Amino acid sequence: MTFRLLQNFKGGRALVITRRAGWETTLETTLAKLGVACDYPEIIDGRAQLDVSALQPERDILFIDGDLEGALALEVNPASKLPPVPVIGLVGVEAPSRLKALVNLGATSFLRKPVHGGAVYTALFLGINQFLLRTDMYEKLQDLESRRRGRRAVIRAVVSLMQEAGLNDDDAYSALRRDSMRARQSLELYCEEFLKRRAMPPDTPDRTSSVTLRGGNKQAM
Amino acid sequence: MTRTTFRIGVMFSTTGSYSVVARSMLNGAQLALAEVNAADGPITLEPVVVNPSGDLAQYRALARELLSSGIRQVVGCYTSSSRKEVIPCFEKFDGLLWYPSHYEGFESSDNVIYTGAAPNQHVLPLVDYLASRVGARAFCVGSNYIWAWENNRIFREALSARGGTVLAERYLTVGDTEFDQVIAAILDQRPDVVFNNLIGTSAYAFFRAFRAACRAQGIDQAKEIPVASCTLSEPELKEIGEEAVDGHLSSSVYFSSLSSPENSAFLQSYTAAFPDGPVVSADAEASYIAVKLLAATLAQAGSDESRLVRCAVANQRLLAPQGEVRIDPQTYHAWLTPRIGRSSTDGQFELLLEARQPIAPDPYLVQSSPRFATSMRPPLLRMVKS
Repeated sequence: MTFRLLQNFKGGRALVITRRAGWETTLETTLAKLGVACDYPEIIDGRAQLDVSALQPERDILFIDGDLEGALALEVNPASKLPPVPVIGLVGVEAPSRLKALVNLGATSFLRKPVHGGAVYTALFLGINQFLLRTDMYEKLQDLESRRRGRRAVIRAVVSLMQEAGLNDDDAYSALRRDSMRARQSLELYCEEFLKRRAMPPDTPDRTSSVTLRGGNKQAM
Repeated sequence: MTRTTFRIGVMFSTTGSYSVVARSMLNGAQLALAEVNAADGPITLEPVVVNPSGDLAQYRALARELLSSGIRQVVGCYTSSSRKEVIPCFEKFDGLLWYPSHYEGFESSDNVIYTGAAPNQHVLPLVDYLASRVGARAFCVGSNYIWAWENNRIFREALSARGGTVLAERYLTVGDTEFDQVIAAILDQRPDVVFNNLIGTSAYAFFRAFRAACRAQGIDQAKEIPVASCTLSEPELKEIGEEAVDGHLSSSVYFSSLSSPENSAFLQSYTAAFPDGPVVSADAEASYIAVKLLAATLAQAGSDESRLVRCAVANQRLLAPQGEVRIDPQTYHAWLTPRIGRSSTDGQFELLLEARQPIAPDPYLVQSSPRFATSMRPPLLRMVKS
């Protein structure tokens, strides 16, 4: 996945968690110009009436008023620290504790209250794209972590192939890499399966020697 | 009937590198002022005219001076950099700037009424025209400020979406007239079209130099590498001069060659009032529209207080020289009619294409741009060692 900058917010839905006091009109009219509709979930007994599990990251953006304490119980992914949808903090009292609470909710940009129309596009652009960028980076990290865990299988497969086919380590690695690409699998996953096949008894039908031990200067894409 | 007098500011750089267009804008505004004051209406407009000479610091200082003297409504600015320079001042004093020029969009200040074209009314129709009738390999040149940067970005994205390519972008300082390297690069690349976002004296010099360079190489520039712009207007054709005036494409909401009773009356009055020129431009018409709409709005609001004017301007309509114009209540931009013209040797534009009716402004291109920004694509093929 490659990160792409979102620039047109048409069809978006802003869920504004705040007590309505008049200042939000500027936010609402400016968002409307950007193709984003506004909803104000009701706040009962200090809690916003919002089904967080129904939020859609492709459509929804949360604007959370930092002056409301604990109005929304938002579950942030413990590993990625990412909320389920982009969060933009609405800052009234500029105290470190309130800013920290917004950061802990995963806010990726901020808007000062009362909202100034000229600041909304920047906050939206930054908030959504930082969320997308962090999501993309987290997915990349997960992929790299999974590959790091798979390196042991690669080492074992290289050693196994060296012993089995009498190759040096470079040639064994190249053969595994080439065949993993032919199989359209990551090298790590291919090596895990390669070892599994080796571990099966000789009469198992699935046991095949798929490694092609031909040399040459083939180029893979 | 008792008439109420309102003092308004009129701020155009009638000296400096883009003074030709700005003087035509001042003329357009003054014509509308004269008509409003001569009419049997409820208001009289008393203009206070200032000239920032194209200097951004002067724009800021003069806007402050006008607004702090009690004026709340100002018609003015041509470049986007000057508009952006004065907006904080209008916000501070809660004044309204009536901005009468096409611009690159991505702005919608509550303290600005935009009577010129938004990008969906100038650059997108131009891209459609070029991609379908001229060619889709473009070379972009522009003056080095936000108008050219953003207009080129919109152009690039729209052209890419239609399968076209921007071969290169080159920017020069406003007022710069040294084009040898840029022209050499264009002739080296041989694009289907040059997209021009140069303004003022830079643009006039470029048109002349590019035509001459093509001629020296036996290239029929107008036919083989036409130059397309969203800024080029009739007074600027005069500045380019006879040798290089014809064959340039322009996307605009107004050309003085339009045939309508309203335009004939406008041209007749304008020519009679300003026989020494500059001749009418799209920006002069936008300035005329701005003052006319401002007068109608003040008459309706009965006050020049910005809050009341903002309410009264929503859905104002005018049968303007270009056709019907109305203000969009959500964005405070105007509904306008896009057109494509080609310049001819008589300093006019031949109309090639026009929208059937005014189209809604879309300053953020919410309705007409891709969801994601285009990015530089990595190569599709990657060589790896086997």
